[in-house]
Amino acid sequence: MNQEELNNKLLEIKDKLTAVEQPADNRIYLACEAENAYAVNKFLFEDVPLRFVIATGIDSDDCFEVLYHYAYDETGCMITLKVFIRDRENPTIESIAPFLPGAEWIEREIHDILGIEFKNHPDMRRLILADDWPEGVYPLRKDAKGPAERPDGEPSTRPTIQTQSPARRTVPLAKPVIAVGPFHPLQEEMEFFQLTVDGEIVTDIDMRISYNHRGIEKISESLQFDQVAFLVSRVCGICSASHPLAYVQAVEELAGVKPPERALYVRTIINELERIHSHILWVGLAGHFIGYDTVFMWAWKYREPVLDLLEEITGNRNNYGNVKVGGCREDIPNELKPKILKEMDKLEKKMDMLTKAVLDDPVLHARLKGVGVLSKEDAIKYAVTGPTARGSGVAIDVRRDDPYALYGDLDWNVISQPQGDVFAKAVVRLLEVFESIKMIRQAVKRIPDGPIAVEVKEIPPGEGVGHVEAPRGETFHYVRSDGGNRPVRHKIRAPSFVNVPSFRASCIGEHIADVTITLAAVDPCYSCTERLAVVDQHSNVIHDYEALLRLSRDKTAQIRKELGTQGIKMEDL
Amino acid sequence: MSWKIWSLKKSPWVFHVNTGACNNCDIEIVNLLTPKFDVERFGIKLVGSPRHADALLVTGVVTRQAAPRLREVYRQTSKPCVVFAMGACACDTGIFRSGYHVVGPVDKIIREIDPNAIIAYVPGCPPKPEAMISGIVKALSIL
Repeated sequence: MNQEELNNKLLEIKDKLTAVEQPADNRIYLACEAENAYAVNKFLFEDVPLRFVIATGIDSDDCFEVLYHYAYDETGCMITLKVFIRDRENPTIESIAPFLPGAEWIEREIHDILGIEFKNHPDMRRLILADDWPEGVYPLRKDAKGPAERPDGEPSTRPTIQTQSPARRTVPLAKPVIAVGPFHPLQEEMEFFQLTVDGEIVTDIDMRISYNHRGIEKISESLQFDQVAFLVSRVCGICSASHPLAYVQAVEELAGVKPPERALYVRTIINELERIHSHILWVGLAGHFIGYDTVFMWAWKYREPVLDLLEEITGNRNNYGNVKVGGCREDIPNELKPKILKEMDKLEKKMDMLTKAVLDDPVLHARLKGVGVLSKEDAIKYAVTGPTARGSGVAIDVRRDDPYALYGDLDWNVISQPQGDVFAKAVVRLLEVFESIKMIRQAVKRIPDGPIAVEVKEIPPGEGVGHVEAPRGETFHYVRSDGGNRPVRHKIRAPSFVNVPSFRASCIGEHIADVTITLAAVDPCYSCTERLAVVDQHSNVIHDYEALLRLSRDKTAQIRKELGTQGIKMEDL
Repeated sequence: MSWKIWSLKKSPWVFHVNTGACNNCDIEIVNLLTPKFDVERFGIKLVGSPRHADALLVTGVVTRQAAPRLREVYRQTSKPCVVFAMGACACDTGIFRSGYHVVGPVDKIIREIDPNAIIAYVPGCPPKPEAMISGIVKALSIL
């Protein structure tokens, strides 16, 4: 379908819509009332079909709005469906989660922060706010007393995940469960998983987030447009180039600003360097989880020169703070160009070696192939993005589908693998490093002289969306302005928000020993496996995290023994 | 110097607690273990349980959901235990000061249960690995 056919297809449902706007070729805004929302969403997701990105809840003056963002990847079109809920006292809307499991989390989140009821939602437990947050206080409503309001009061009585230790648990569990989290010594952030097991097989998985919820969307409403870029680079330290870029692109779209050409080159180079260091980081951690600590150490050693380059360009190893509305803050000095090219040559050789060592290893084949499979159908239903989607045969990549910065002019390939297992995801990430090296080389060689920023005076009223292919997938930002100097609503969707719920599809039916690597395979921004106790009710055996890691490593050792190989030798590297 | 402090300074085992960080400080902490920085040469080792830890490396602002867990982790450590507030957020909540889900910097939460806790601060966003090593060495040398 080309853009015109898509426009015609969307008009099939126009009797249910109240407005259709198309500010640019590949940006469409539709509007409808709450009672038609379910039918329109079903049409967009199932009949067109579009990829679900995220939903945004907004407290407007006279009503609530829920914005459903969709993408049509063939033409890079972003379609936003605005639904108005007129009843402010009892805001209610039909849930779309029954046919779109990828929307389950975001509806729970909107309920938490805005108090909108979703009818027929399968699981309306608290998601984003703390267990002791009082019921009925909605932080993103405009009548909340500002971002720093920290209400006390009766804690919520809504059921939440059983996070207590077995000794303090008030409700007995019907089945044996494994509690995973919320702390882990090697993974970065807090996250709590509960695996229900039958012997060795995982039969269900449940998750609790909120440990890391800092209320960035609300803080953003109290900062000026220029300051928000620094805030969003701290959404995630590893995607600290992608988040500000997506935000800045949203504001540039809103204000109609076009950054100068050199700025696009600088943005591309920094974003690709970020992708390289993030993918190498993942390879290292994945190696650690299955007992290949040599891979861990070598990968992280190769990652260091990339961080040094980033430090030399932007002044910091992470949190670059380099992108601003209208361009960039720091330039890449021309005398640094030979050094970048030299480092890329060195890195390519080392990565070549590492990739061969990983991909040719029979133990890794046996250990990772067919493990944690996320089928193509599930990948679409859960609306996953990035290497998680590309490893399942869904070849989407924002850099190609809706080119930003310089990506439209570069020569590179989208890597995808059809199998959907952990091995496929590893292959995608490893091969993407080479594509990134290729892109950086082209960009560095062709970078033109000129200014790196244009002056931006005012941000007019309006709205804009920006999306960027972060290392983990599509980062999406929606910004709405009323003509003042602060955004009135700023929605952020990090790729892990849609990738993490897909564990329900990929972990169920797996062995416990395979769970650590399956959880790690989507490179979640918050995966945690520490303080982990495996409780088997039949035998009362309690394992801890170390035991689980040991299980995972023992399995690797067992396979290695059966295959009769010695693992990676130093001379292979 | 008591033998406890002496032994703690020789090879501090550390436990890493993320209470709402953006991953940056955490990744830099993991970086400390890898070949370029390699803190194991000082006897510093990352351990998997707070009960084995001589020091806590706490990163990030303390969010409402994380505060009780941080207190619990601190209770589980064997004393004396040095708490390192790693990064601007942990030291003084940094850019997230006005967040509704943020209950305070690390020292405030720890002092609620132990007013005499030993707390060291390593500022930066994120602190460079060299700064982290320097902070740990400085704190241990004044014990």
